[in-house]
Amino acid sequence: MIVLALSLVIVGMTFIHTGLPIKPGMEFTGGIGVTIVTQETPDQLKVTFADYPLVNIEEGINQGKYLKFDTMSDDKVLSLNKLIESKYNGAKIDQIGSSFGKTLQDQAAFALIISFIGMSIVVFLIFRTFVPSAAVVISAFADMTMSAAVMNLLGIQLSLGTTAALLMLIGYSVDSDILLTSRVLKRQGKFDEKVHGAFITGIIMTSTAFLAVFAMWVVSWIGGIEIIHVMSQVLLIGLIFDVMNTWLTNVGILKWYASKGKSKVSSTLRGGV
Amino acid sequence: MDTEKLKTTLKDYRVAIYLILLITSIIIIFPHPGPNGIETNLQFGLDLSGGSWIQLEFQSAVVTFKTSQPVDQFVTDLGKRLNADVSLVGADKIEIRKLVPEDELRQIFSENETELVSYNQGVSKETADDIKRILENKINSLGTRDAKTYVITGLNGVSRYIRIEMAGVSMSQAQEIVGKQGKFEIRVVTTGNETEHVVFGDSIESVANPSQNPPNSNNWGVSFALSPEGAEEFRQAAIKYGAVKDPANHNLAMMLDGKMVYSAPLSSDLAGTLQSRASPNLVASTGAGDKGKEDAKNLEIHLRNGALPVEVKIAGSGSVSPELGGQFKMWCVIAGIFALVAVGISILVRYHEPAIVLPMVLINASEVIILLAITSFFLQLDLATIAGLIAVLGTGIDQLVILTDEILHEGKVPSPNIYLKRLKRALGIIIASAATVFIAMLPLALMDLSTLRGFAVVTILGVLVGVLVTRPAYGHIIMAILSK
Repeated sequence: MIVLALSLVIVGMTFIHTGLPIKPGMEFTGGIGVTIVTQETPDQLKVTFADYPLVNIEEGINQGKYLKFDTMSDDKVLSLNKLIESKYNGAKIDQIGSSFGKTLQDQAAFALIISFIGMSIVVFLIFRTFVPSAAVVISAFADMTMSAAVMNLLGIQLSLGTTAALLMLIGYSVDSDILLTSRVLKRQGKFDEKVHGAFITGIIMTSTAFLAVFAMWVVSWIGGIEIIHVMSQVLLIGLIFDVMNTWLTNVGILKWYASKGKSKVSSTLRGGV
Repeated sequence: MDTEKLKTTLKDYRVAIYLILLITSIIIIFPHPGPNGIETNLQFGLDLSGGSWIQLEFQSAVVTFKTSQPVDQFVTDLGKRLNADVSLVGADKIEIRKLVPEDELRQIFSENETELVSYNQGVSKETADDIKRILENKINSLGTRDAKTYVITGLNGVSRYIRIEMAGVSMSQAQEIVGKQGKFEIRVVTTGNETEHVVFGDSIESVANPSQNPPNSNNWGVSFALSPEGAEEFRQAAIKYGAVKDPANHNLAMMLDGKMVYSAPLSSDLAGTLQSRASPNLVASTGAGDKGKEDAKNLEIHLRNGALPVEVKIAGSGSVSPELGGQFKMWCVIAGIFALVAVGISILVRYHEPAIVLPMVLINASEVIILLAITSFFLQLDLATIAGLIAVLGTGIDQLVILTDEILHEGKVPSPNIYLKRLKRALGIIIASAATVFIAMLPLALMDLSTLRGFAVVTILGVLVGVLVTRPAYGHIIMAILSK
């Protein structure tokens, strides 16, 4: 609860500053992103690109460099393109104009909201009881808010990749919550035992997914694949919070619900095998 | 497992469908050794194969209105007022080929007793198709192989962007190709195959859309207007080379970059007029029926000199060099393999039982293979799509864990009857969580957030393939294994 409150404060502050819960990156504000493989150090690169509005340089392990530039005029873009093409063998250049960036940003924000609402509706349709459904939705919300807060703290910006990762997080987060809720509501037995059983399954799910994403994170770092790298970063953060939110927040709400409305649960839902 | 059991398992329709799908997928992908290592039928996007993309934004608007004036009158007045090409594209919808801000337009509308109902930047579908054709023509005429253009149309039917992807072309080359105009020239036939210069494309002041000529006949043509000087040059040349006196033997030919795109004699009316004065307004007839209409559309493009009917701005662009693309491809494969190994180790630690771990990992991997095969029909594999595939790997294994644990509840291997009941319940949980992933990804798949569409589509397909095919099959395979 404290973590959620803290996260909401961080996200809220970012929202006041930027109009978005997470600081938008180059794809949304407009600018140029360049991936090159070079032995030059960041300082040398700063000299090379002194004529252009270089914002920052990120380094991969394998001599890969990811450079971000601010928006510039079309002529400048063309000359930058030519400079990179002539100087570096093997580059990836992405340029987004600011109005196009704004469109992308609006759509991304819209997609996040619609997804979340859609997910909530599906969850309510599945369980058809208010409190357990709300518990699932709340813990998914907490997952995303906390991940967003940590993204802000770590300086991970909102981009197309991280938007997709956040959406994916809705899926991952709801997975273990649905497992927990189904086990608790539709099986017979003691509450704690059911939760324990679900926990064993759930934790192996999350840790397996975590390992798969971790592998993706390491390899994309070595390979200098920026989009996959940030996506896996966000997923890793989200999966850690998912453990907390499913097995503390969601279990907490379910426990309260089970002790309050015990008679209602057993009369409306038959136990399984 | 004895052969009898193997047979019954294989005969189960879920397992059978799964196997057939898997084998078909491998055939579709068709990995085979080629000159550059292993080749497949997979289609790679620009970030993996190398190339450039440019996204252009139309400086134009589609506006819905409600007016008390006669519609035609309103459209003509508006065109004059804005000094722009305004045309009716629906009963109450106009396309304004100039970017006028919404408030300014609202103001002008209200002065004309008209209400502005909706305003969207972009062009109508027809115009977007024209632009697509013009760009494709331009790219093809330069011999660029493997170029694709996509019009990006919103849910409201208005197209705001067009995206051009060119494989194996660097960014600066791509920008030159898109920005370049063709060299258009009108020549007149003198004797035999000899021709002489009449006017260049810069003398053409305006070009109309293809129209029936005379109206409502089935004869198509394109009207265009020459500048006063151009019209005079046209007249002089027509007289000098004999086209006025003997039109039939002195065709007028239109050339684009030295290639003839149209040739026809002067009409007798025009030949008559030209003897006394210049005529700036000309019509090039292209014949009757659908073919005439098609030819007229192409001629219009040529007459416009490769210029687009609306102004465009570069909204975004990008390029990946083939070297870097190749490296990305390699790292993606490594990422996939590592992810799979990580998954294998994790579940081996949990179950200690190779008989369970092996089918799980194989099912997981085969989901990716099936997805690759499906996507090869309509999606290009790019980095985002591959991230989606790995994400599918993650959710897929989660669901297999749910299945296995439901079935092995309390550590006992159940009797077939109870087994099936538990399998059913487990599939219930899986379908529930699959439905949420499906819904969560749907907006991304429907909207056109450029690179993320592939990611969302792959995730959705992954969920569908998993729920409908591979996971039920897994349930039955694992039953056969456990009940030995």
